[in-house]
Amino acid sequence: MEQNTTVIDAHELTKIYNGRQVPVKAIDGVHLHLEEGEFAAVVGPSGSGKSTLLHLIGGLDTPTSGNVVLAGTEITRLSEHKLIDFRLHHIGFVFQAYNLVPVLTARENIGFVMQLQGLPRSSINKRVDELLAQVDMIEKADVKPAKLSGGQQQRVAVARALASRPRIVLADEPTANLDSVNAGKLLDLMARLNREEHITFLFSTHDPRVIEKARRVITLVDGRVVSDTRPG
Amino acid sequence: MLLVRLAWLNLWRNRRRTLITGASVFFAVIMAIIMRASTLGIYDNLIHNFVSFSSGYLQVNQKGFHDEPSLDLAMVFSPGLIGILKEEGGITAVIPRMQSFVLAAGSGQAKGALFMGVVPSLEKQSTGLHRRLCAGSYPESDTAQVAMLGVDLASRLGLKPGDTVILIGQGYHAVTAAGKYRVSGLLQLGSPELNQRIVYLPLHCAQQLLDAPGMATSLALQIESPAKMEALARRLRPWIDTTQLELLTWKQLFPELDQFITADSAGHIIMSGVLYLVISFGLLGTLLMMARERTHEFGILVSLGLKRSRIAFMLLCESVFISLMGCSAGIASGWLLVRWFHLNPIPLGGRLKEMYLSYGIEPVISVSNRPDVFTVQAMVVLFISLALVFVPMVKVFQLQPVAALNS
Ligand SMILES: Nc1ncnc2c1ncn2[C@@H]1O[C@H](COP(=O)(O)OP(=O)(O)OP(=O)(O)O)[C@@H](O)[C@H]1O
Ligand SMILES: [Mg+2]
Repeated sequence: MEQNTTVIDAHELTKIYNGRQVPVKAIDGVHLHLEEGEFAAVVGPSGSGKSTLLHLIGGLDTPTSGNVVLAGTEITRLSEHKLIDFRLHHIGFVFQAYNLVPVLTARENIGFVMQLQGLPRSSINKRVDELLAQVDMIEKADVKPAKLSGGQQQRVAVARALASRPRIVLADEPTANLDSVNAGKLLDLMARLNREEHITFLFSTHDPRVIEKARRVITLVDGRVVSDTRPG
Repeated sequence: MLLVRLAWLNLWRNRRRTLITGASVFFAVIMAIIMRASTLGIYDNLIHNFVSFSSGYLQVNQKGFHDEPSLDLAMVFSPGLIGILKEEGGITAVIPRMQSFVLAAGSGQAKGALFMGVVPSLEKQSTGLHRRLCAGSYPESDTAQVAMLGVDLASRLGLKPGDTVILIGQGYHAVTAAGKYRVSGLLQLGSPELNQRIVYLPLHCAQQLLDAPGMATSLALQIESPAKMEALARRLRPWIDTTQLELLTWKQLFPELDQFITADSAGHIIMSGVLYLVISFGLLGTLLMMARERTHEFGILVSLGLKRSRIAFMLLCESVFISLMGCSAGIASGWLLVRWFHLNPIPLGGRLKEMYLSYGIEPVISVSNRPDVFTVQAMVVLFISLALVFVPMVKVFQLQPVAALNS
């Protein structure tokens, strides 16, 4: 197997927002390196730049300076058009809440990205069934998001992010809207999928119980990496 | 396909709003259809009445006759030409007429009159001249030696059915023409002017009187579908020897009537325009709300890898769906209504009825069921929905994913 392949390589990453009075340095010269299969948490106080970092790595926002290489592609140089295509094929996203397309069922939401990729029906169905089982949502497969609990919605969102086997899943505070029981469950699920599917996870959180489950913890303060540890 | 389906599902997220918007399109389309159909119906009725007793929708005559109607331009229309006209689809009757001027005299009084030689049986069949009779009787045979007079002319000359009218004039190539005819009936026609001036004689008598055997000054053509008149005229022209003859449409024969109708319909078009403007605002409001309240969702879609152009396409489908639903329901109901009123014209009452009758026009509001009444509305609504969705579409193209996600 190709072990130790670099998935994320961010270099001198800086993002300055032109705030109302003074410019805000949301990300300040961050270097970040993630190998394939890692399960890493970005932590830090509110306003420390966690979301901004994930957005920059996922190509949702453009850095003021520095660059991001994802799986060998320097995404900071891609055109907007190519970038969206790159996301479609290589990046999965999970956000804090309201991730799902409200008019589609859980099953359809999970298959959505694959449908956009134009994969054949049969392979989509097979993969969706597999994921429904993995996230324990078979019974609610044909239910729309509004009738799912927050935890269930996030599980579906995680399944969707994984569905097309991206190189990386970026999750911005995926547990922020969940109680601690559900938060723990979601993290266990993510950790299991990380192992079984061998997909790299980078997620942000400020929940200590979630941090415990991470195998690498990157701490941001004022847009700078102040520590990068591998507990256990 | 996925996006079309999404668009459809999105419409029913706020069912009430979609239905209200669709209903506004529906009512606007129905109103525009009824308005257009009834004005066209009124015009058609007007034109029909106007042309029936003068020229027909189309008229064939010797070159120059329309500009200067002289009896010397009377001619024998070849049976070959008449055959061709009769065989042409679209034409329901080919009616020869002889038009001239005579002096008409009754007991003591004399007056200049417009003279019309017609084939009574043919007019009865195709223009309904017999229905304009207000006193006396209609000629039984095409060779009867009788005259019919406009009702006001008769009273000026002091004549009533059964009396004798004397006609004096110039015949073909300036021979003197004079004859005495029994007045069989009086006519109330479409225009006061005709009522004061017209004398009808069977064509056969007219030819004898004017010493123009077998001749006529024009062929009036009654047609199946007035809406297709121009196309029919274009089809016919190659068959006509244009060195000698000319084929004229009623628009060429009566340009004032055409101008009146054009000017009058401009007003109606402006009214429909206002109607559509009103629904445009409603539709735009809905489209903007539908887009705005989904900003976060669009952010999610872009982050998943859906291109902005495809989101814009989805919005386009949503707009087209709403308008298509309103529009097709509107056209279907409009069609039924128009069909009903077309078959059952609304009778007029009171002064309007008097006015219509005095012009010899049937006192009804008839509605036109011409297909363009419907197609035009459909196209306008579709165009509006395509044009309006441009506004939210531009917003989607400017969408910043992070800002959208945070909203
Ligand atoms: N669009 C923006 N314009 C101006 N400043 C911004 C913008 N987005 C973020 N910031 C600022 O950048 C800094 C980092 O914000 P960010 O959202 O990345 O923090 P965070 O660590 O995710 O915080 P939280 O834990 O509250 O989600 C903050 O000071 C924030 O005010
Ligand atoms: Mg954040």
